Amino acid sequence: MSSNSRDNRALVGAALIAAPVLAGIAYAAAASLGSVGPGASGVEPGRLVRVLGERATWNGLGFTLWISGVATALATAAAVTVAVTFRRSTRFDGAMRAIAAVPLAVPHIVAGALGVWILAQSGMIARFLVGVGLIAAPSQMPALVYDPLGLGLAFTMAWKEFAFLLVVTAALLTTQETDLEEAARTLGAGPWATFRRVTLPVLWRGLLPAVIAVFVFVAGSYEAAALLAPSDPVVLPLLVSERAADPDLARRGDAYVISLLLLALGAIAVVVHEWARAGWEPLGE
Amino acid sequence: MTARALQRRSTVPGLATRAALAAILVVVTLAPVGMLLLWSVSGGWLFPSLLPGQLTSEAWHAIGAGALTSAIYTSAALAIATAVIACALALPIGRALARLRGWRRHVGAAAAFLPVASPPLALGTGLQVMALAAGVGGTAIGVLFAHIVPAVGYLALFFLGTFTLFDTRAEAEARTLGATAAQTWWRVTLPLLRRPIVEAMAVGFLISWTQFALTLVVGGGAVRTLPLEVFALVRAGEDRASAVGALLLLVPALAALAGLRWATRRTALAPA
Repeated sequence: MSSNSRDNRALVGAALIAAPVLAGIAYAAAASLGSVGPGASGVEPGRLVRVLGERATWNGLGFTLWISGVATALATAAAVTVAVTFRRSTRFDGAMRAIAAVPLAVPHIVAGALGVWILAQSGMIARFLVGVGLIAAPSQMPALVYDPLGLGLAFTMAWKEFAFLLVVTAALLTTQETDLEEAARTLGAGPWATFRRVTLPVLWRGLLPAVIAVFVFVAGSYEAAALLAPSDPVVLPLLVSERAADPDLARRGDAYVISLLLLALGAIAVVVHEWARAGWEPLGE
Repeated sequence: MTARALQRRSTVPGLATRAALAAILVVVTLAPVGMLLLWSVSGGWLFPSLLPGQLTSEAWHAIGAGALTSAIYTSAALAIATAVIACALALPIGRALARLRGWRRHVGAAAAFLPVASPPLALGTGLQVMALAAGVGGTAIGVLFAHIVPAVGYLALFFLGTFTLFDTRAEAEARTLGATAAQTWWRVTLPLLRRPIVEAMAVGFLISWTQFALTLVVGGGAVRTLPLEVFALVRAGEDRASAVGALLLLVPALAALAGLRWATRRTALAPA
């Protein structure tokens, strides 16, 4: 078999994987233009223009990116801190890394439920604060469920995704040469300078694809948002389901426009992810 | 170099910092799971008590009578089928992708990542149309198809990573010594790949087992998996039953993770 036809077969396989997404993008685009789906009346850009002109759409996008940014930043900082602190191959450090990986197995719906039980104004943190005498009533606990800044959702997603980033970081640290760090220390750099100028830059190259994946994953997650996110502004995944079930039947097709926005977010993440990965993955050439 | 010298030169922080961080880590990751266990057996747990007043196994006994039992079966069947089918589809694709070089490799990897990165609710919109066109909308078959789509993308990337490091010389030798392609696959390739295949199946299982939005959209609410039931219970404020459902979801997932043993070490892709 020639290598060219083998290459083509590989690309056909990859195209098959992407096909359902591409079909979804095509359908959502057609439905946004009103040529298919509920209330279809031939191609006219009215719906697209209207939905993209609404404040709720852009507020939703901005709010989604904000929550995702906060969650990703917190998860990355925590993952790097824990992975570097417990990087040795001792039994204790291994146990710590295993414990830290537990949230990886926690389904998003369970993470969302835990968020409600722990962060709510009558939740576990509030009860603990009452126990130590810092607050006396639930109303004194800052709201973290349905809060307008979306911090409850951001904290919950950070907890969940931290484990994934930790596993990736720990794997990177085991493959990473320690020569560079040792050289920096020998040349007189302090531990913090070594971490900031040597360890972190080297880690970051390998970690970036996973960080991008986490960002888009948080942005697209639905079930935890449904349990924790406020109703104003509305994150995009909730906005899709809200529009799809709108009492005004004429508005239901709006869900496709917002779906399209979410898919665009996913597509951008794919391109940036591949760019980040290409900068790091050894191709063996 | 001595261990002490190594420690002095590395960036590992001091003992006090390590102890404090270890304590925080244990509380932050394990306390929520412990709290789930307590909720599942609490007879009443009102603010501001830090522990439930009385204990009861009522909610655990109620599993058999409730909707959770059939949801467990549905979820388990979907997850096992997704693991096997997605693995069988993704392995040859991942292997083929690993042979690619240059722009083809980037395009192939990006195509495989697309269903993984697509927000499930938006992906579900397209899959729902396809499922309805195929006459399987609102059925378990339609939901299975929907679960397989992101799982194949994820596992193709997983096998792309595996095969990038895979040494094909053993296979070539077997062929040189006269083995047929089938013999080579069963007697050489498969035994070499046993571990990545088990890991891939664990990941495929987890992707389906924890799936929510795709099940909801493509299943139209008619296919009741465990995540859907738990969501309904949490929304209804049924704390004790929710905690039982959450634990039923969590335990097989933890087992799969344990079986997986750092599968992500091979490849840094996306969250499961």
